[in-house]
Amino acid sequence: MKNFLKISLVLLLVAFIWSGCKKDSPVDEDGLLITTRAECYVSNFELLGTDFVTVRSKPPVIDTSAQTINVEVLFGTDLKNLYPQFSLVTDAKLDPKITGKVDFSDLANPKVYSVISGNRLVKKPYKVTITVQR
Amino acid sequence: MKRKSLYFNYSLLLVVLLLAAVGCKKETYSLPIANTTLQNTCIKRTLGPNIVGLNIDFAYAMALAAPGKIVSAQVEASIPGGAKTYMENRSFYTNASGVDVGITVGSPSVNDGAKTTVTFTKDTMAATLRYFYAIPEAARGKSVSFTFTAKSSEGATVSFPMGPYTVAKMDMALNLRMRDGDSSYLSITDMAVYTSANVAAHAGNIDLVYLYRSTTPLIINHALVAPAADPQYLPGVTLPAGVNKTAKIQKVFSLQDFNLAHLQFGIYIDDLDFQKLDMTGQPNFAINLKLDAGAWVETADGKYRAYVYFNSVDNTNKAAVISIKRYVVEGK
Repeated sequence: MKNFLKISLVLLLVAFIWSGCKKDSPVDEDGLLITTRAECYVSNFELLGTDFVTVRSKPPVIDTSAQTINVEVLFGTDLKNLYPQFSLVTDAKLDPKITGKVDFSDLANPKVYSVISGNRLVKKPYKVTITVQR
Repeated sequence: MKRKSLYFNYSLLLVVLLLAAVGCKKETYSLPIANTTLQNTCIKRTLGPNIVGLNIDFAYAMALAAPGKIVSAQVEASIPGGAKTYMENRSFYTNASGVDVGITVGSPSVNDGAKTTVTFTKDTMAATLRYFYAIPEAARGKSVSFTFTAKSSEGATVSFPMGPYTVAKMDMALNLRMRDGDSSYLSITDMAVYTSANVAAHAGNIDLVYLYRSTTPLIINHALVAPAADPQYLPGVTLPAGVNKTAKIQKVFSLQDFNLAHLQFGIYIDDLDFQKLDMTGQPNFAINLKLDAGAWVETADGKYRAYVYFNSVDNTNKAAVISIKRYVVEGK
């Protein structure tokens, strides 16, 4: 009986130690899960005005090889107050983060956003070029 | 050991018996006795901000058991109401079809300063009268309270206090008709729309110009543009002399304020929304506006902030009906 109790105790202790030493899933500095995915691209892009209605005049042209996004916006769009929305491949993230309205009024200097893959090993900058409908 | 077990068993038995006794205890209940004295209660029926020119609507209920009858109902407001303040002399009930049916119980209400009184003409022991307080200009930005009072023929009097309620500082103008090329000059300052014929006298107060353009491929549609905006947003518009102010405008969609839109949505723009509005960096034009769209506006001097809502648009006649809520910014 005593031996049985000792064995049980030892087994329990081993189980605790094993679970305590279990390696945690890796997360990055944003608390996002780092996965094994190496894909790194933008699948869609949207631009919303202050009324949260799209300001695009037609679908965006996304070139994943050249890493460019070309968007034409409606005549009269207030370029200083836009909300960009990126759709990324699974597990990827965007840098810099979009935290609110973005000023796209400097058309001569397109903004650059980088996509970082799920494994956080691949980073691809995308240039967002905006033209206003004429 | 045996004795211990015996004690334990006895104790257990006692506890079980005690529990059974408590569980079986019959709860005493007696039928509630109706209060025969004069009683009253009140509810506020209107929601949203209290705006000058609108009503605050109450339902005041009073009742008594025998003997006697209700002889009068009175409301005293801390600030006298507008001329349209009144108390219903009909007591309403809702019939099986959900329709409110009024039964006349007294003479039409009489306003005497801050007091509104209905004198009962029917032998009535219970009634619910509605009270409509027309918010006066004197109450703007202040708090207003009410005291509802009922009297019985036996000399009993009951009162019910309501409030205080804060009256909003903002103004409201409803259903202003605008038409491209004619009544197209909007003054937030005056809360009015001016036509080409009378705009000259108010040129300095014009904050926005309304226009409609359906020329393709450029989409302007319905637009509110400050006179000082880039002329490309005012195609074909010749501004009268002195109409040259700018403004800050921010487009909004589906902000259907209940007071302006009269739709079912319980959305209310209140003073607080204007106080917290940040118009920094906003443009001086809003184009491609449509039905149910709107725009936050701040005048050039920063004195007024407004929300302009498009109640309806008419592409054929190049016209729109708008409603406005406006707030005077303190310290400007």
